[in-house]
Order: sequence, then C-alpha cells, then structure tokens
Amino acid sequence: MKKFIKNNGTFIALIFLIIILSFLSPSFLSSRNLTNLVRQVTINGIIAVGMTMVILLAGIDLSVGSTVGLSAVVVTLLMQSGIGMWLAILITLVGVGGVLGFFNGFMSAKFDIHPFIITLGVMTIARGLSLVLTQGVSVPVTNRTFAEIGSGYIPKIPSLIILVIALVLGLIAVFRTSMEIKNGDKVRNKAKLTGGIILTVAGFLAGFLIFIGYQGIPIPVAIFAVIVMIGIYTLRKTRFGRKLYAIGGNEKVAWLSGINILRSKTMVFVITGVLSAASGILLASRLNGASPNLGDGFELDAIASVIIGGTSFMGGVGTITGTVIGAIIIGVINNGMSLLGINSFYQMIVKGFIIILAVMIDVLNRRDTA
Amino acid sequence: MGEEILEMKNIIKDFPGVRALDHVNFTLEKGEILALVGENGAGKSTLMKVLSGVWPYPTYEGDIYLDDALVRFENTREAEKAGIGIIHQELNLLPDLSVAENIFLDRQPLNKFGGIKWEELYHNAEKVLSRLNMDIDPRIDLGDLTVGKQQMVEIAKALSLDTRILVFDEPTSALTEAEIKELFTVINELRASDVSIIYISHKLEEIEELADSVVVLRDGATIGDKINISEVTLDEIINRMVGRDIEDLFPTVDFERQEKTLEVKNISVPDPFNPDKKLVDDVSFAAYKGEILGISGLMGAGRTELVNAIFGVYGKKSEGEIFLNGKKLNIKSPADAIDSGIALVTEDRKELGLLLDKNLVMNMTLPSIKTFSSKFAMDTHKERTITEKYVDELNIKTPSLDVFVEKLSGGNQQKVVIGKWLITDSDVLILDEPTRGIDVGAKTEVYRLMNQLVESGVTVIMISSELPEIMGMSDRIIVMSEGKKTAELEKAEADQETIMKYATGNKGAE
Ligand SMILES: Nc1ncnc2c1ncn2[C@@H]1O[C@H](COP(=O)(O)OP(=O)(O)OP(=O)(O)O)[C@@H](O)[C@H]1O
Ligand SMILES: [Mg+2]
Repeated sequence: MKKFIKNNGTFIALIFLIIILSFLSPSFLSSRNLTNLVRQVTINGIIAVGMTMVILLAGIDLSVGSTVGLSAVVVTLLMQSGIGMWLAILITLVGVGGVLGFFNGFMSAKFDIHPFIITLGVMTIARGLSLVLTQGVSVPVTNRTFAEIGSGYIPKIPSLIILVIALVLGLIAVFRTSMEIKNGDKVRNKAKLTGGIILTVAGFLAGFLIFIGYQGIPIPVAIFAVIVMIGIYTLRKTRFGRKLYAIGGNEKVAWLSGINILRSKTMVFVITGVLSAASGILLASRLNGASPNLGDGFELDAIASVIIGGTSFMGGVGTITGTVIGAIIIGVINNGMSLLGINSFYQMIVKGFIIILAVMIDVLNRRDTA
Repeated sequence: MGEEILEMKNIIKDFPGVRALDHVNFTLEKGEILALVGENGAGKSTLMKVLSGVWPYPTYEGDIYLDDALVRFENTREAEKAGIGIIHQELNLLPDLSVAENIFLDRQPLNKFGGIKWEELYHNAEKVLSRLNMDIDPRIDLGDLTVGKQQMVEIAKALSLDTRILVFDEPTSALTEAEIKELFTVINELRASDVSIIYISHKLEEIEELADSVVVLRDGATIGDKINISEVTLDEIINRMVGRDIEDLFPTVDFERQEKTLEVKNISVPDPFNPDKKLVDDVSFAAYKGEILGISGLMGAGRTELVNAIFGVYGKKSEGEIFLNGKKLNIKSPADAIDSGIALVTEDRKELGLLLDKNLVMNMTLPSIKTFSSKFAMDTHKERTITEKYVDELNIKTPSLDVFVEKLSGGNQQKVVIGKWLITDSDVLILDEPTRGIDVGAKTEVYRLMNQLVESGVTVIMISSELPEIMGMSDRIIVMSEGKKTAELEKAEADQETIMKYATGNKGAE
C-alpha cells in the first residue's frame, strides 16, 4: 500500500484535487468545462512533453513561451500573405520551432553553456521578433479551415471507437510493462499493475464522460494524445530515449561510453522547439489570430508540469506519463481557481508554491533512497 | 594495549534482497591496528557504516559497546562525538573550500556577528596538521591538493574531533608509494598515542606491514576469531577470505607475440593550466596481438592521459597519430574510438565509469547500445540475457539485474565497469587500474579474463600502479615519467628496481 501510494502519489493528489473542486464548484464537472480544461491542458501538455526530455538532460528551456508566441504570429502572417495553410504550418514548425530549438541545443551543447542562459536569450529574441513582425498589435487569421484545427471535434462515433481502442491498447501496455524479472523469475509488480489499470480505466471513463457527453474529442486533444504516445514510446523503448536517461544520469560517463552528446542534446531542443511551435499554431487557430504576447509565461506551466510529474531537475529520472498527470494537475488548478473566482495574480502565487513543493518532494525522495 | 574499548556484538544488517551482515562479532583494543579483510561485498564497508552512525540504530540489529557501555548512534554526529572517525572509501570533502574549512566544517570559531574568525581558524588547522607532521597550507583550496594530501586532511579532521577509534576504508587505493609511506607513518604515530585503528584493504602486503591483528569477513559473517598477525600467514588469510587456496595469484600464460595491432606515434597532450608543460610528451609505442602490454609509472606520470588521448577524450587538443592494424585512425571522440574497436576501462568508476543511479543492465549495455537495438527499439530481452551472462562470468555479486549499481560494493562496481567494455567485443582493450579495490579472488579472475582475451585475439593494455601486478601480468612494460616514455622493457628485464629507476625519471639509453 505504501509502495502503491509512493508510485502513484501525483495521481492520487490529482483525484483529491478533482473531488475537492467538484464540491466547491458545481460547474467544474460539466462536460463543457472539462472539455475546455482539457483543451487548455493540451496547449501546455504538448510543450511539457518536450520539456520532459530537456529536464531529463538536467537542462531547462525558458524559450518555449516565446516560441509559442512567435509561431502563432508567423503562421498567421504567412497565411495572410497568401501561403496555403499546410505549407504555412510546415514552415512555422521547421522555420520557427526547429530553428530556435536547434540554436538552443547546439549553442548550449557545443560551447558547454548552461541552457538556462541560451534559452533566456532566445526567449527575449523570439518575443522581440513577434513584436517586430506584428508592430505590437494583434493579427487576425483569415483562413477559415485553419480555425478548425484548434476548435474542431472528431464526431462522437469515431471518438468512441478511438477511446475503446485506446483503452484496450493501454491495458495491454500496462500488463506488459508490469512484468519484471527478479532473480531470473518473472514477477508481476502488483503496485505498478493496479496503478496502471486504475490510471487507464480512469482515463477512459474521463474521456468518455467528457468528450462523448459534449461534442466528441477536440482535435487538439487527439493531436496531444498522439504526441504523448510517441513520446512515451521514444523514452521507454528507443535507443534515443535510452541515451537521454544515460546523459541525464551522468553526462561524462555517457560521453565516454560513446554517446554523441551534441547530437542528442540538439535533437531534444529541436523536438521541444517544434512541439512549442505546434502548440502555438493550435493556439492561433483556436483564438483565430495571434497577439505578440501570446504564450507569455508558458514556460512556467510546462516546467511545473514536468517537475510535479516526478521528473527530477537533476536529470536522468522521469517519465512522460508523469508529465501528463502533472499537466492535468496544473490545468485543474488553473481552471479551478478561475471557476472559484480567484484573481489570476493570486493564481501565480499558488503555482509558485506548488513548484517549490514538487521540487522539495523530489529532493526528499532522493535523500530517502540514498 | 590490552584494554578493550570497542565491542560489536551480533550485528545484523539487511538490505532489500541481501543480508550484508550476519551476526558479526569483534572487539578492538586501545592502540590496536586491526585489519578488516574480505572479498568484495563481504560487508566490510557496511560494518563500518554501522559503527560510525551512517546506518543509524535501528536500521541494524545487534549491540555496540564503547568502553563497556551500550551505544546506539542515530547519526554520524553522535558517533563523532563518541570519538569514532571514519575515512570513507570515497573521499567526503568539499574541494572548493579551504583546507581549514574542511577540517572544521560547521565548527569554525565565530565572532559576535556570526562571521568566521579566519586567523583563529587557520591557526587551529595548523595545529592539527602539525600533529600529522604535514606541511599543508590550511588557506589553500582543498581541490588543489593531491589525493594523498586530501586524505591527510580527512585524517586531520578526524583528529580535530578527538577521535579514539579511526576507521580507514581502503585508504591507499589512490595514493602514490610515497604517500602510502607517509600515511603509514601517521597511522603508527596515532597508535603510539593510543588511538585504535580499523584498517580495511585488499592489499595484503599492507596489512602484513601495518596491522596487529586481522578479522576476516566472508558473506557478511566473521570467519574464525580475531588472529594476531604474527600467528598467521598471508595464504591462511586468503584462504579464510575466499574459502579456498589461491595457488597462482598471477596466472601467466606464455603467449606468442603476433602481428602489430595498435600503434601510436608522437602522442602529446598539452597541460591546460600550463602552456609550457605537457601532460603527455611525444610518446610512441606499439601493441601486439598475443601479448599484454603493461604501462607503469608513478601517479601523475601521464599514463591515464596517454590512454585518454588514444581514446579521443581530448578531441583536437591532443596530437599524434594512431594506427590500428596498419590503418590510420581519425579519433576525435570516445565514440570514434569505440567504433574503431578500442575500449577503455576508465580509472575512476564513480565519476567516469558508472551511471550510479541506473541498473546493471543499462550500465553494461551502454557502450554497445547499437548492437542491442534495431533502428528504433531496444531489444530488452537480448540486453538482459547478455548482461546476465557477464554477471555470471565475472561473478558479480548482486541481488538482481535491476538494482542501482550504487548499491553494489566497491569491487563489484568495478566488475560492472569491466563488464560493460567486454560486451563491446573490441579489438583493443585498455584497462586503467583495473583491479583497484577488488579482492584477491576477483583479481585473479580479472587476470584470467585478460589471458582469455589475449588468447581470443584481443590486444590488452593495462595501466597499473602496483608493481607486482605489472610485473606478474605484462609481457612487455612501458615505463612513463613526467609525461615521457622513459623505458620499454621485456618481461625478462623488468625487475622492481629497473622499473622504479625509470619511473622516477631516470632516462636510460633505450
Ligand atoms: N545502500 C545499500 N543498499 C543495498 N545494498 C547494499 C547497500 N550498501 C551495500 N549493500 C550490499 O551489502 C553487501 C556488502 O557491501 P559492502 O559495501 O559492505 O562490501 P565491502 O566488503 O565493503 O566490499 P568492497 O571490498 O567491494 O568494498 C553487498 O552485497 C552490497 O551489494
Ligand atoms: Mg567497501
């Protein structure tokens, strides 16, 4: 039981949070509110998937918020200038997200400068670029279909089918990953299994109640789900994922074992840049336009999600599943506080404390196992 | 001597999956130097951690009596107060603070405003250091001292706490010969002033030279009673440690020297802090299939830097040419070296060899990660099978493949580092102090393994600071001094005096 709580601590915290909020504010559990909440989570969550990888390397990326803003501006302006939607999206993903990410990763890895400094610089540069491009005013989206991406839904029946498939695949994955080999025998990790099943079923039920009860799965949520699945697979199963854990564990050891640090680091920042750009594009689509200040402060929510999700800021330890739960917690807190009419100034204070708390838990856990 | 000051009774300590200590009993007398020996993972460090409060009561069972009074330390502070000091296997100091601050950490003399009274601090530090006859300036940063001097600072720190029982956990593994001599003098002086010493080491010659008595641990239990060193032979101690006789510590095989494999020409490595000096100065040598090439020299002679240069650690900063099987290699990073078939078992396992908070599988497969994965996914089944095979082969003691390697004993960690490079199946295997901290039984296993590798066509190069090891195992020996190669000796010409002569910088006509 103790192990169960320790393994699934953040998840349990999330459940408590939801129960408390549903008592405090009746409208919290309405499908409409929840759909909205999930959509907000999506924007932050997509960035947080990349941020997980960055923090796994004991790095940090402060430029994600500005990348969101610049991407929203660029994609909007490109379409205004008559470029087709898909091409505009592609150019933004590569030209804004990819390039900024490459700069972050390459500069910090090649010259051994802490990414805090480089990304702080890029944060300001990208924000400045947005302001220059827009002359400081909001720009509207002119393309009709573009709005669909951020605010459209997958119809109910296909949504239901997708949810059921996800449930089945999720359960299979839980069964397979809860097997552990101990002293040559295959043993099932009960805590992991129960936790996994509860998580998967809860996810399914939540998805069912929220989306099927309202208008189906929002398209950004579907995109987010795909990104999360690819992210989980990458970290758990691929060589690239393994390298990230190794570099985060001890960069010098990893390098002496033949791992190309420069390439891996650059790749991680490129991924984060592209994901931030994707997030910015979705935001522009939903808002039907872009303002140069869009995405301001997003880096904080993304970092908070990752840390709350159990990724250690010391590097080497962490999962995307944890980050997703962390992102939902942040989303619930934001949404809940707004519903309760708490001034957004106070919201910032509360979130600050939560980040510190999460880091404290990480530090104490480390001391425990040492 | 004679007065008993410490008794440890029926000590039991369990870790998940292992009983590290199983009813251990022993006593220590005033002014006694007691050697604690045993194989890797026998529980020596754990026993001392129990004694010094690292593992507080009640995480262990059993009783500790100090001067016949039962003590139960809840932390290391309490043990320090009771007069128990420990110099850990891994040094525990802060390199960025001054020597004096390290000695009086948390106990600096303060003025009314809470500021440190520096002059008094330095003065006190000088007083403690002079007890050791150590000429160390308490004002300089600890990190600027050699490892040997840093260790002296640890000892000074223990003395400043009025230590009556001082534990040394493998203190000499990173010291030069001269530093070891210094250390022994200090230990003997401490004994003369009635400090009792517990001394852990895998180097049995040291124990013979230094200790009054021996306690042997095997698999967490004491084997036999404490014995007087004068009443026992080394072979008997070894037998108690490993449960059998070791006939041949250096199992040499006469190989036939075959074709030239690795050849390096004019390797130089600049000193980053001193542009006029070179860490490695124009060294050339060749290694052959079918032989073990030893590299000898004092600490700081540039041996590690030489093999690091070959391994691509310095990138473009090092100079020279490297050939493998006649082909010129362009090595700019360890990744290049590994791809060309060169493996390097690094010297410092904690900092350079292991991912401490990762499991055995991940550590062992890291350098050969490519062979364990298709384009995308890792083949976890294959990883486990191969890791398991090497764990068996190297006799690595571990409760499972899934424990973090930091939980393994020092010697077993060393075997993991060796294992990870064996899996790469390289043509050239360079081992930098491969037997540091591993027990006699495991040492011969490593030597056998080196022989097997040579037999299967691998070119083996070994750096070692232990002369018996270098002379016992190498077919040819390169001696280095101050960055330069001073001699290249065939096995037959290599005796202790000759090697030492060249190692201390006496350049002979070659
Ligand atoms: N923190 C820990 N957690 C789990 N197991 C541990 C821990 N520390 C030690 N062990 C286990 O306890 C046993 C004894 O280890 P210990 O470090 O005392 O051995 P040792 O005699 O000092 O060996 P060496 O000569 O290699 O240093 C080993 O099996 C080791 O794996
Ligand atoms: Mg030990």
